[in-house]
Order: sequence, then structure tokens, then C-alpha cells
Amino acid sequence: MTTWIRLATPAALVSTVAAPAYAVQYLSIAQAQKQAFPSATAFAQLDARSWKAQSGGTVLGLIVVDHVIGKHLYIDYTVALDPSGRIKRVDILQYRESYGGEVRDASWLAQFVGKSSASALKVEQDIRNISGATLSSHHVTEGVKRIVAAYGNRAR
Amino acid sequence: MATAPDRLRRARPLLGTFVEIAVAHAVPEVMAAAVECAFDSIDRIHRCMSFHDPASDVSRLNRHAAAGAVMVDPWTFQVLETALELYHRSAGLFDVAIAPVLQEAGLLPGPIRARPPEPRGSSADEPIELLPGHRIRFRDRNVAIDLGGIAKGFAVDRALDVLQEHGVPQGLVNAGGDLAAFGAEPESVFIRHPFKPDQLVCQVQITNEALASSGGRLDLVEPSSVARQAIIDPRTRRPPDAIAGASVRASSCLVADALTKVVMIQGKDSAALLNHYRASALVVSMSGEICVTLGWLGGENLAA
Repeated sequence: MTTWIRLATPAALVSTVAAPAYAVQYLSIAQAQKQAFPSATAFAQLDARSWKAQSGGTVLGLIVVDHVIGKHLYIDYTVALDPSGRIKRVDILQYRESYGGEVRDASWLAQFVGKSSASALKVEQDIRNISGATLSSHHVTEGVKRIVAAYGNRAR
Repeated sequence: MATAPDRLRRARPLLGTFVEIAVAHAVPEVMAAAVECAFDSIDRIHRCMSFHDPASDVSRLNRHAAAGAVMVDPWTFQVLETALELYHRSAGLFDVAIAPVLQEAGLLPGPIRARPPEPRGSSADEPIELLPGHRIRFRDRNVAIDLGGIAKGFAVDRALDVLQEHGVPQGLVNAGGDLAAFGAEPESVFIRHPFKPDQLVCQVQITNEALASSGGRLDLVEPSSVARQAIIDPRTRRPPDAIAGASVRASSCLVADALTKVVMIQGKDSAALLNHYRASALVVSMSGEICVTLGWLGGENLAA
């Protein structure tokens, strides 16, 4: 028989840990270029945000860097296109969520978390994974479509 | 965060969310190859199970499976098998054939069928038939499926398999909050408040298990759209009105992902189903009350 245990009432929620800043650096632009086109010997800059991947005299494709900036979200990402203008891959370079605050009350967590929360929460070091409502990648998907439309015929 | 040389962390937009894969304690070449292959497996699931892609198995089934059997990817078949088992065990509360109701509610795109199907009980004729050779047939023209409530969990499980097949000793796959991890090091996971995304409800340690959460979709670019609830109670055809968010811990992410939907709808009455799958849960009610099952806390915490 499963029983339920109440952890907090609405009144207790006032002291909920607030305002995480969640940031991850996954790849630099150079790393993303190399990962998308491992056999490329050179990346020739096409404009402020795009590079042609070349191997000897052959064009392998194009890589474009773009970003999404929202109220709480900052994302840098790259789109790699093959010479026919089709998407080869999309990589997230940097992800940052910011609410502009600090964790206020880590001791509230200790009530039920157990051992691991004995030390104070170190924002950006301890917050590695967040679960909750599914994060929408809608704006990145729209950005990828715009890049394909703008650069699709320039990847040759 | 500085990345240690024996760690690798990558993210890509897949399955309508951000999928992150992190590995550790293997040589860089092995880790890089494992992560690439794991993303490939998620990409395959994305292509098979997207409701939005007209070439996906799901779209082909929704167009043709009422007229005759349609062959699908073995993975799509496997997900539907589990979905039907969950449908029966949850007395119809977990229902992948809810797509027409979601379309009617504006939660999924596409034409609204002339006559949305009547709510089905667990005793009703099975609307989705699983046939030999990975073939699927729908009994009714009004049946349309959406695997959005289960595909992310399945993708996490498959990606984790790939990492382990490559011999990586420590790994984590996180598909927008539905996640699973293996290895000796526990992973800290913070659970976000369902309607205050800047607040955390609690922290849990995940070791060789999965955790999934539901609470609608979160748009951090235009946060005004946070409230959009993508879960519908098949009995009322309305979003659940008592539970704001649910998280489930289970041995597989597929099960954890699917059970969050049932817990969202059923609240504390989901205890028997959670027990059956040896899963534990945390629920946040609309009034802000937070409750967990005994299993969620674990034996150590109870002794303290």
C-alpha cells in the first residue's frame, strides 16, 4: 500500500529556493565546426556568422552560428548544411537560463533531501540537471528553418 | 562550468525539446563516438514518432492505418505495445489515441475529424491492433495517435543503452526534463516548480534510474505561454484541474514518462499503478501542496 507524505503546504512555499541561474557551455564555434565536418582542412568565412567547410578544393558544406534570446533564455547554436543545402546537424553551443537572483534558502531543501543537500547550493556548479515542465525548443526549430531558407543555396 | 578532460557534454534540439547527453570516465574518442551514436538513436525516434513530420510512422499510421495494416519501425511497434499495456493498466487514463481530442483543444495541429471518438473505457474494443511483422491497424477511422507522452522517455532509454554498449561507465541523458542516468556517481536533479519556473521544488539524487516530470510545456523565450497544458483527461476531455505538476522515478524512463501523465490526471489515486511499476512520485497540487510517495524519499531519509 502506497501512502503519501505531505512535504509542504502553500504557506511553506514562500521559502522555496528561488531563482536558479542555469548555464552550460557545450562547444566553442571551432569545436562545432570540427565536429560537423571532421575531414575539413579549412573553414573559409562567408559572412559574419557563416563558414564554408573545405577539404583541398572541395566544398563539404556550410556552418552557420545563430542565437535565440528570450526573457529568461539565451542559446547559441550552429546549423551545418551539406552542399545540397540539407541539414547535416544542429548543435547547441551554449545554454543559459537566468532569473537574475540567487538561491535564497538552501536549508529548506535539507528538510527532505537528505545527505547531499547538507552543503549550501552553489549555483552554476551544483545545478546540472533540471526536471519539470518540458522545455520548448520551438524557437531554435524556427531559427533552423530560417537558416536553411537563407543559406540553403549557398552551401555549394 | 569547466569541463574536465574525462567528461563530455553535448546538446541538440530534438523531440521538440533540448536533449542533453553527458558521459564521463572514458577516453575522449570512446566518449565522442558513444555520444554521436546515442544522438543518432534519438534522431531515429524523432523521425519515427513525430506527430508533425508527415513522413513519420505516426503520421503514416494516422493517414492509412484505418484502411489497412501499416508496417512501422520496430521501435515504434515497441512503444505502441507498451502504450497499450499502460492503457489497460491505467483503466484508459493513459491513452495515445487521444490525438483527436488534443487537436480539438488546439494542442496539436491538423484537421479536426468530423466526429471525435467517444471516450473509451478499458472494456471497449481495442482501437489499435498490433499485428505480426511490426504492422499496426486501427479499428476505426476516427482513431489518431500521438506518442508525445511516451516517446521522450523511450528515447532516453535507447540512448542510455547505446552509451552502455560503447562501454562508457557513467552517463546521463536528459530530454527536456525526462532523464535517466547510470554509473557510480549519483546525478543531482532539481525539480522545477510547475507554475513558477524560477523556483525549485526539491532536489533528488538519481543513480541507475529514471526521472520524468510533467507540467505542461515551458517557453522561456515568451514565458506568457507557460500555462499551456498538453495533458487531457480522457474522461472529461479537459486538462487535469487538481494537479499542477508531477514527477515520477522508475527504472525505465519510458515508464516514468508515461506515469507522469496518469499521476497528473489521477493524483493520489495513482498509487496502485505506481506500485505495480515499482515507481515513486512527487505531486504538486494547484493549491501548492507538495506530496510524495514513501518510495520517493527512500529508506535512508526515513531513518534519519
